[in-house]
Amino acid sequence: MYHHLDELESQSIYIFREAYRRFENLAMLYSIGKDSTTMIHLARKAFFGRLPFPLVHIDTTYKYPEMIQYRDRMAREWNADLIVGKNAAAIEAGMGPEQGRLLCCEKLKTDGLSRIIEQHGFHGLFLGIRRDEEGSRAKERVFSPRDKNFEWPYKDQPPELWDQFNTSFEPGTHIRVHPILHWTELNIWEYIKREQIEICPLYFAKDGKRFRSLGCMPCTGPITSSAATVDDIIEELKTIKAPERAGRAQDQENAYAMQKLRAKGYM
Amino acid sequence: MTQSDTLKIVIVGHVDHGKSTLIGRLFYDTGSIPRVRYQEIAATCRAQGREFEFAYLMDALEEERDQNITIDTASTFFKTAKRPYVIIDAPGHKQFLKNMITGASSADAAILLVDGAEGVREQTKRHAYVLSLLGIRQVVVTVNKLDMVGYDRKVFGAVENDIRGFLHSVGIVPSHVIPVSARQGENMAKRLGHTPWYSGPTVLEALDTFENVHGDRTLPLRLPVQDVYKWDGKRIYVGRVESGEIRKGDEVVFLPSGKITKIKSVEKWRTPDLPSAGAGESIGITTRDELFVERGEVIARRDNAPVRTREIRASIFWLSDRPFQAGASYTLKLATAEVTATAVAIEERLDSSSLEVTERHARELLATEVGNVAFALKNDIAADLYGENIALGRFVIEDGTLISGGGIIRSLAADSGGSVQTVRLDDKFIINDDGSFVDLTRERREVDFYVTAPFLDYLSAGNRVLFRLRDPRQVEPVALMAFEHNLRFSFGRDGEKINLILFRDAGKTATAEPEFGGL
Ligand SMILES: Nc1nc2c(ncn2[C@@H]2O[C@H](COP(=O)(O)OP(=O)(O)OP(=O)(O)O)[C@@H](O)[C@H]2O)c(=O)[nH]1
Ligand SMILES: [Mg+2]
Repeated sequence: MYHHLDELESQSIYIFREAYRRFENLAMLYSIGKDSTTMIHLARKAFFGRLPFPLVHIDTTYKYPEMIQYRDRMAREWNADLIVGKNAAAIEAGMGPEQGRLLCCEKLKTDGLSRIIEQHGFHGLFLGIRRDEEGSRAKERVFSPRDKNFEWPYKDQPPELWDQFNTSFEPGTHIRVHPILHWTELNIWEYIKREQIEICPLYFAKDGKRFRSLGCMPCTGPITSSAATVDDIIEELKTIKAPERAGRAQDQENAYAMQKLRAKGYM
Repeated sequence: MTQSDTLKIVIVGHVDHGKSTLIGRLFYDTGSIPRVRYQEIAATCRAQGREFEFAYLMDALEEERDQNITIDTASTFFKTAKRPYVIIDAPGHKQFLKNMITGASSADAAILLVDGAEGVREQTKRHAYVLSLLGIRQVVVTVNKLDMVGYDRKVFGAVENDIRGFLHSVGIVPSHVIPVSARQGENMAKRLGHTPWYSGPTVLEALDTFENVHGDRTLPLRLPVQDVYKWDGKRIYVGRVESGEIRKGDEVVFLPSGKITKIKSVEKWRTPDLPSAGAGESIGITTRDELFVERGEVIARRDNAPVRTREIRASIFWLSDRPFQAGASYTLKLATAEVTATAVAIEERLDSSSLEVTERHARELLATEVGNVAFALKNDIAADLYGENIALGRFVIEDGTLISGGGIIRSLAADSGGSVQTVRLDDKFIINDDGSFVDLTRERREVDFYVTAPFLDYLSAGNRVLFRLRDPRQVEPVALMAFEHNLRFSFGRDGEKINLILFRDAGKTATAEPEFGGL
């Protein structure tokens, strides 16, 4: 009766409730992807159908139009308070991947995020990252502090054990809470299937291609696939050899690209 | 238990003995490393001018690869034909013990790895001891780097003896001791033939021999209250069932407050009326009475409840550079409860590697040291012995704002709640039908009430009950009872004493309209 998805779900609910109890001013980062959409579903489970904090989407203006349409439709359905943040100055100044993919990520996403946090005074932020995505995320804590400079102290993280989390923070700092850190890509799809969660249509194959991970248009490529349903995707994942984020160009810039971006506050 | 239950395994042992390499090799041999990942690692090694390092699969940070050391714990995911695994890599360096414990604390089982050429070393023993403190009983030992000693059976035998001896002293019996070379892949996923004298399982086979560990439904019920949501006109207590099972209709006690009520509903989103929920499930419950209880209380059955205590003795491990000090105060976080505690005495101070008692009645504990400590708590909490119920028998210690250590409860003194007098309100006292009253004028202790169903029925029938109070301080427990059971009362001064009349308005809730005046 007790399925591994139940265990994952219960742990995520526990994390949500813990953060909600500990922090007054919380928000959830919503990237439109399958992970953060699943995370929203889990939050509604934790809070009996409610979303008792706003969703924040950092718009780089480079997103696929289907993503934005889907985002707005879902936000209405969830009755969510959606905050859309932009680093308008950088966008006006023409920031784009031509200036360097990593610089672009840093300016449009990391700086965009830090502005929103400052503007709204958020103390805690839910993020839908997972340990199996890539090496530096594999080392994350569930409650992960960010210092005054927005930096991740990855060389000296505080201990975290027995579901007792570090919840104290100094002024000007915040804590990243990772409710689905312990899920794998396959778990997410199995759960989407079980719970019948509606996912952005770009994930499903059209004309022999689909997106496995969603991001900005210039830096995200589709994979060759005929998986047009959730069941097809689950079957495909059982045999696929390429890593999930292979289609994300910023990850491939150099060996430590993600570590460097994330050390500075990237998701 | 289904076949697909995930098992979490931590890899521990002394620095540089090959833990990360073992994981990388296992992944490689089972075709679990994506090709681009392999190419990335190969390119990094080429640039560094060294042989291919399997450890880089886990050691993904630049600093880790530059120094060839694991800094922080990392998890990775893996599957055999039997079930999925979470493999947790732990750092071996003494300085990163806090990270090792972070990784090991969530594991169901462990692989303890010893370098065959170097033998048992300081962190081998420390990690073994930490496993025993964390309650991890399922352990496999691998004796690694046997390629460096020509797969010598005698070398293996000597190391095996050593480690079995030490593990015995911390109460662990390893299920297998496996001779391996992580780098060459001997006895990892397959047998390469270097150890014809060994007939036991490979590492991959040994993984599948571990048993799944779950919160136990057969243990007594423990449901720590995580939060109270006052939504949709009801009070929902949320939390995770840590052990046992909770059922609709159960009579339960909240501890440490001692309040007793019945479970009205067991709820999840979209399933607001479950018959029951068991260990591991995050749920919400509502109760017959709207009890005024907070996070930190534990819901249990009355005949098998945790202990209400202010005095505990625990084995603690210290992880912070700021020493743990006798006489100082700390915050203990036990399940969802938080309590200020004074370290009354560090009765024994231990070297966590040699297990020697280095001092009795010590003044402080340094990072990585273990101590047997007596704590005096500022408030009551509900707790269990670690040996009886893990979830309520362990706690973390916060020094200032950071988690700095952990402890497991070895003994505790039951607090009979002697300073509080519980007054039972039942039909026994409602004997005379003209003017029933509860006289508290001679009660010197604090009071609280145990409200029974007949008492509430009596009020619901339109009856009134007079409470005679000694002074205004006794109003609070009556007000609390009124709050919890939707009752009203009127207030009247009678010389130095107070008369309260408790009643229930038929059809109205107590909050509908305030009523002033009194007798
Ligand atoms: N010859 C030989 N070398 C090995 C073997 N296993 C690991 N090594 C080498 O030992 C060194 C340390 O290996 P790691 O896997 O990084 O050790 P570790 O236990 O993870 O170290 P920490 O995490 O820093 O405690 C590396 O250079 C490995 O290549 C083995 O079976 N044989
Ligand atoms: Mg290592």
